[in-house]
Amino acid sequence: MEGEARGGAPPAIATERLTKHYGSVHALNALSLEVRAGEIFGFLGPNGAGKSTTIRTLLGFLHATSGTARVLGLDVSTQSVEIRRRTGYLPGGIALYGSLSGEDALDYLADLQGQPAARRAELCERLQLSTHDLRRRIRDYSRGMRQKLGVIQALQHDPELAILDEPTEGLDPLMQHAFYGILEDLKAAGRTIFFSSHVLPEVERICDRVAIIRAGELMALQTVQDLLARRKRRITLRWRGAAPDLSFVPGLADLQVRGDRAIATLEGEVGPFVRAIASPALEDLTIEPASLEEAFLEFYADGEGPAMAGRPSRDAQPQGEAP
Amino acid sequence: MNGVLLLRIWRFAATRLVIITLATIVWGWLLLFFYSQFSEALRQLANQSPFLKQFTNFGSGNLFTVTGAITLGTQHPLLISLIGIFAVGGAALAIAGERQAGTLEVLLARPLPRRSYLLTHLVAIFAMVGLLIAALLIGMAIGAVSQGLTGELDLGRFPLMWLNGVLLWGAFASFSLAVSASFDRPGPAIGLSLAFLLANYFLEILGSFWTDAQWAQEYSLFHHFEPGEILAGKADPFDLALLVAVIAVPLAYALWIFQRRDLAAPA
Repeated sequence: MEGEARGGAPPAIATERLTKHYGSVHALNALSLEVRAGEIFGFLGPNGAGKSTTIRTLLGFLHATSGTARVLGLDVSTQSVEIRRRTGYLPGGIALYGSLSGEDALDYLADLQGQPAARRAELCERLQLSTHDLRRRIRDYSRGMRQKLGVIQALQHDPELAILDEPTEGLDPLMQHAFYGILEDLKAAGRTIFFSSHVLPEVERICDRVAIIRAGELMALQTVQDLLARRKRRITLRWRGAAPDLSFVPGLADLQVRGDRAIATLEGEVGPFVRAIASPALEDLTIEPASLEEAFLEFYADGEGPAMAGRPSRDAQPQGEAP
Repeated sequence: MNGVLLLRIWRFAATRLVIITLATIVWGWLLLFFYSQFSEALRQLANQSPFLKQFTNFGSGNLFTVTGAITLGTQHPLLISLIGIFAVGGAALAIAGERQAGTLEVLLARPLPRRSYLLTHLVAIFAMVGLLIAALLIGMAIGAVSQGLTGELDLGRFPLMWLNGVLLWGAFASFSLAVSASFDRPGPAIGLSLAFLLANYFLEILGSFWTDAQWAQEYSLFHHFEPGEILAGKADPFDLALLVAVIAVPLAYALWIFQRRDLAAPA
């Protein structure tokens, strides 16, 4: 994990068998992942999966039970202060001082950061937080406005690495769109963004790579495209007359035939499937687009079966590319 | 220590601090005003009843001497409440309160070492306590001048009295800060800090009312701040040394525990 990412740049984040136990509760189990410098990295998992534990360990709020983690090449256990000097952090459900105005809170946090708030004006403009808004007390802010302020405080000093926990929580669709634009611009400027989310379409839309975590273990670490390519797609076929026997078609599963219709799931390449069903009797074919949500749900499906085919054992490597 | 944080702590407390500082000045003045105006009448009243006479020894003070009245005034529940707002309440909330509010993680996401965060709070609280003890002494000085009592008081001993007072309340602040560093919720932190304060107060008062229990006073921190003794030129260096030790031990614990403990996401 000490190696360098593509292009020779050191990884922005690298964990090696990072483990955190709270007594008998295993919040993180030997988590190894690498976030490359300059990428937007999505960190997915339901509540209690270990996302926040990972983030808090990276920032020095929690002490790892075992394993190592480096952020921007610095050890989280001994160089936490320097890490926080070079990162921006948005906690989930951020709390700010209600008695301060938005402007005073941003000034205060920028002063503590010890760096000029170089991006503040631009961020306020893009997130539509006016001077008038900034002069109001935070206790009078709506949830969305607080979240905007949280995003601004995390990014105003133009950090090398932004760690964002559920960043679009409370933002309306328009502001979410503006936020995605901000992240894309940060990426273009060479910054790294690591963010956790429950909102899968946004991860699918803006992330280069994603890690899926379940019960403190890494389930997958892949590009979004690879993740989507692996997932099963739902297909519907309609024939003139009775549907033919499709059991021989490669990649097809969960087949249900009702008269002239057949519904099934398709895994893997589409080409062999299309060749196998090519027939003048085929009247209609629908292949639903792959979504990250379904890919995600497959990792969380209970029980045995194809949905869990890629699930690694505790000691196995997660599926996907090696970090 | 962090100057930005120190300034912000003071600004958050500014309004309360101004009000309580003024109240403390008034209290200091009132002590000598009451002594000057009513001590003789109270002496005659107390001589009529052994119970009332014992009551005049409240808090190891003595209503009928100016130094005794000052001692009594410094251990009065009203003054303890005023200073305790910052020394106990402020210290108990410094970490546990910010933890529960969720603001601690926003602050500690900056390049601010935990040790620096804790020491800055300690310095801020010591400075507030120092201001309040100074306000008390200023009030007393005004009272002494306005009531013509300057001949009975050696104002040159006020600096030592100030130091002793700051160390007493610094000990409570240090204990409260250590408790605050150990909890995620302000309830237990405030509860334990108040319990410590009240236990000390109880031991001191018990001994002052009941001669058989005078030994208990030795175990009270309040017993190691006796303005009467200082003003009489009989200050005991042991009192100061003991209070410094009581500040140092919880502070060392606080630095140790706060540095090592996990700060999980606020509930």
